[in-house]
Amino acid sequence: MDGEDEIQAPAPIPIELGEQEISYDAEAPVKGKGRMDAAWGSSQGDEVNTAQVAPSKDTTGFIFEQVYQPWNGTLNPRWMRNWAILRHHVAGIFRKGHRPWSIPTRLFLVVVFIASLADVGLTLLSALIGSAELHSMWGVNRDNLYAHVLGFFPRNVLYFPIVAALLVGGVISEDRLHGTSALYFSRPINRFDYVMMKYISVALIQAMIVLLTLCLYYFSEIISMGRGWAWIIDTFPLFLAAFVGGTLLIITYTSIGLGLSSVSKGKFFPGIGLIAIVLGSKTLAIIVSQLFDREILYLLSPYDCLAHVGQAIIGTEPTYNQYSWTWSLASLVAMNALSLYVLSSRVSSMEVTRE
Amino acid sequence: MMPDFDQSGLPETKEWVPEQAAPVILLENVSKTYGRIHALTGITLSLSGGVTGILGMNGAGKSTLFKILMGKIKPSSGQVRLFGTNPWKNPAPYARVGFVPEHEKMYDWMTAHDFISTFARLNGLTRDEAKIEADRVLDFVGLLDVAHKQIGRFSKGMRQRTKIAHALVNDPDLIILDEPLQGCDPLARTTIMNVIRELGRMGRTVIVSSHILHEIERITEQIVILHYGRLLALGNLHAIRERLDKIPHRIDIGTENPKELAKSIIEIDSVHGIFFPQGKNLSIQTHNLGSFHSDLPKAIVKSGQKVESIDNPDDDLESILGYLTGGGRM
Amino acid sequence: MATKPDTIFRALDRKAAAVTEFTMRQYRTKISTWVVLIVGFMVISLLLLFYVDGMQKDYESIDNDGDSEDWDGDGYPTGQERLYGTDPSSSDSHPGLLVPPVEPDPPEKWIDEDDFDWDSTPGSGQTISVGYDDDGDCDRDDRTDSQKDSNDNNVPCDIILEGPQEGLNDDFTVEADNFVDEDPDDAAYAKEAIHRASVLAIGKLGFVFIIGIFVPLFLATGLIRDEMSSGTMHYMLSKPIARTEVFLYRILGYLGIVWPYLAILVFISAMVTGLAGPSDSFFRFSEFGIWLSVLFAAMLATLVYGMLFCFFGVLWRYGIILAIPFAAWELGMALLSMGVPEASILKFSVIGWALTIVDSAAMLVWPDLDLFIQMGWWGGGGDGTGLFGSSIEGTAPLTYFSSKPSLGSIGPFVSMLIATSVLLVQAAVLWLIGGILFKGKEIE
Repeated sequence: MDGEDEIQAPAPIPIELGEQEISYDAEAPVKGKGRMDAAWGSSQGDEVNTAQVAPSKDTTGFIFEQVYQPWNGTLNPRWMRNWAILRHHVAGIFRKGHRPWSIPTRLFLVVVFIASLADVGLTLLSALIGSAELHSMWGVNRDNLYAHVLGFFPRNVLYFPIVAALLVGGVISEDRLHGTSALYFSRPINRFDYVMMKYISVALIQAMIVLLTLCLYYFSEIISMGRGWAWIIDTFPLFLAAFVGGTLLIITYTSIGLGLSSVSKGKFFPGIGLIAIVLGSKTLAIIVSQLFDREILYLLSPYDCLAHVGQAIIGTEPTYNQYSWTWSLASLVAMNALSLYVLSSRVSSMEVTRE
Repeated sequence: MMPDFDQSGLPETKEWVPEQAAPVILLENVSKTYGRIHALTGITLSLSGGVTGILGMNGAGKSTLFKILMGKIKPSSGQVRLFGTNPWKNPAPYARVGFVPEHEKMYDWMTAHDFISTFARLNGLTRDEAKIEADRVLDFVGLLDVAHKQIGRFSKGMRQRTKIAHALVNDPDLIILDEPLQGCDPLARTTIMNVIRELGRMGRTVIVSSHILHEIERITEQIVILHYGRLLALGNLHAIRERLDKIPHRIDIGTENPKELAKSIIEIDSVHGIFFPQGKNLSIQTHNLGSFHSDLPKAIVKSGQKVESIDNPDDDLESILGYLTGGGRM
Repeated sequence: MATKPDTIFRALDRKAAAVTEFTMRQYRTKISTWVVLIVGFMVISLLLLFYVDGMQKDYESIDNDGDSEDWDGDGYPTGQERLYGTDPSSSDSHPGLLVPPVEPDPPEKWIDEDDFDWDSTPGSGQTISVGYDDDGDCDRDDRTDSQKDSNDNNVPCDIILEGPQEGLNDDFTVEADNFVDEDPDDAAYAKEAIHRASVLAIGKLGFVFIIGIFVPLFLATGLIRDEMSSGTMHYMLSKPIARTEVFLYRILGYLGIVWPYLAILVFISAMVTGLAGPSDSFFRFSEFGIWLSVLFAAMLATLVYGMLFCFFGVLWRYGIILAIPFAAWELGMALLSMGVPEASILKFSVIGWALTIVDSAAMLVWPDLDLFIQMGWWGGGGDGTGLFGSSIEGTAPLTYFSSKPSLGSIGPFVSMLIATSVLLVQAAVLWLIGGILFKGKEIE
């Protein structure tokens, strides 16, 4: 047996190389969908310790062989990447495979959405049974448009602030907690886009609750009561004003919420913080105005500033008499500016590590 | 169980008398399933004394097994006994158990000494006793000089040793270490291994998990291999090794001139077959890894070729597990 | 380990103290704890600032009966003319024409000239006679006996005061003779009323509600859940300690931070209101009782809420989702208890019971509170005599923030005891459920 091209040795046992690949998914380097789940997961997906059922008995020896396949695609434009982030967050409300908002959050959104449609239902009902009295209570008018967006109880106690609190809870803070923000920033995405898209997606989800129901309310009136153009021309400015009021509400809650989310690590703090700011400042202002007949503290309460501005632009009877609504507007601008400043400075200085 | 209101001592541990004859750990047909995923399937195991290594890949069920032993999770079926006592919902046996969890997270704001003495008090020690005890265990793992530094400033190896020290409080009879060597540098690794060996020598029952065979090899000879939730092998490492030696192994040698080298290597008795995969590589099969390794240097010198690398891709846990699960070839 | 003979202190130094101490130290290292505590402090300070400002303010003294004016322009205020029996509406008739002539009084003398002289409180259903005509314009010689006794109880120049009917949600009934206590000192009343309303508002809404619910929300929700999700719970649970104990001692550690904090804040509030409040002496000691009850109620509220939120945290990773609507519910209940304290739905809240403690203490410390409110509403003639008629400033807030203990007529002390025991039972039940739940929890 001299050196030939192939040297024969007694009975070689062939070993298959790299043909069958068995993937071990628990704690192993994650890839494909596994990685996406870990990255976007609100639950602690990357710590799930799943095990697999043993493979069939006749698996042969397996040797791991890695083949690197270079990526030859081209990078999509910026807006497309941003759209992906946005879609990932918003679509997560509706179906699996996107950002997994927790089940209770989604459940609560559904409940609040239906509850916000109460006046739509009553408008339709009043048209159906032709009750003018019911319609005067629930139909579209100046006060009801205001109440749909900015009414204190129950909408601004039980619905909108809690929705905002549940949404902002983990949007940024969980990324920081799990270190998944690193997955964003290892891609060609700048931090401004990252925050911007998170902001817009949270605002969009709230808009479905606040503004979509407002539009449905208005259209249900047009359809059920057979309103003509004259009525629409009359009431459209009111509708628009209520729409602007609702937009302000969403922007303010989102700014404050995300500002809180960016300074904390847990998902508890931002949610409770937002609730505490909205309801706590309101309670405090009630105490002072009741006791000392001083309304000045309402300027510190986001809800009351929104309500005051809303009353001014929709034109309902103002309930704040000691100062002009422009002060409330100025206060709102200040609140938003402060929150956005905190948000941007925190995100731009955010260390891309698991904290 | 009512809490220890009067704080007069240790009601649970006082009432609890370990069964003398019972093995330290007894698992009888223990299974754990999460939905359709079987994390553990029918494990039956009994351990007493000495160091035992639990080997298995990620997801093999090592951590699940430890969590069941520590009463953190409840087995879906089967019986678990620690010193003859069921640990689920019963913390009494932990008076004699030390546990090193796998999680990296620690109380970074505490000093090592504070951390250990605070938790030592949960064993029923008073404040003063706990401080003395903390000094003792920190000395044992060689951290006494940094005992009053914050854990947050520790290196990975020091953190692991702190966790081990925490587990050694009150001199437990059973010490369970979940991946104690993970992510440690060689120095820390050696220190920790020495600590574990020392514990075994002192007659404690020590259970160490790892997915790296060499690590376990250096600590103990008694191993348990878990694979996909099943108990695959149990016993002396050499016995297992010997059986493995009967199975063909592959050795890759990188050299300028593989054919020239092959000429001298083929003369080694234990060589089974030689392949030339591609380029400057030589792939050798052998049935007896031990004798091949002792003959290889001579053969290389004889051929006069320059060898760039010798690689033993089979000699890791995955391939051993592969052989062990490899059906009739065992 | 070798055990030395245990003294009480050495024994206490074991598990309970270890976990409690550890929890307190853990709180101290978290920034969020400090943020929450400082914001709470700022909220109370803000209320106190407004309070001090309210006490510095001069309340307007209103001439309820208008007799400080000189209707006829002869230089004598109407009250003085009425007292001397001259015609207040004729410039040709005034006390200056009497022998000897009387100097005209400055008009200020006839503002607040006839203050409340209600020195006793009638029992329920009882009728008593109170009041004294300080300025003498009722008991004048030129008036007939029937003019002096317009409320027909055969006592000239008095006020009939009837206590509220037993069992009914009734107020005092006031029926006064004309010109008795008709122009009380509004400024003094307003100051006193606003002071009392502030003590109740700061105590009930400021401490028991705002501090009492938000501090536990922030601090207690993650007490066990955070440890479970970060994996550090393993260090504690691998020791021979029952999980129910861990639950309890973690709560003790939380209380070790929260209770002293409450005590300091309540002490500051008591100091500020004691010094700045209207008082003859340097300091109002009498209200320490109310502040003690506020502290007590807030301590119990933080205990129950702490247990509850910690329990929510153990129950579920998203415990906060249960806690947030609960907090909104408690806000509703707090506002309800201000308006309708006897509503039975309050029995299903925590805050309702806690506020009962403060209300009962207010009844004990200010036995005259109901009568005092009634005085304000009556306001020197608002009893339907048609003479003057509006309530005094400060009455409305005091009415809003004070309420009778929700348990009806069983007496303040007993209702305080009942409310305390209900809250303690709630805490114990929550601990038990939370402990059992925690015990059966699988920790990954």
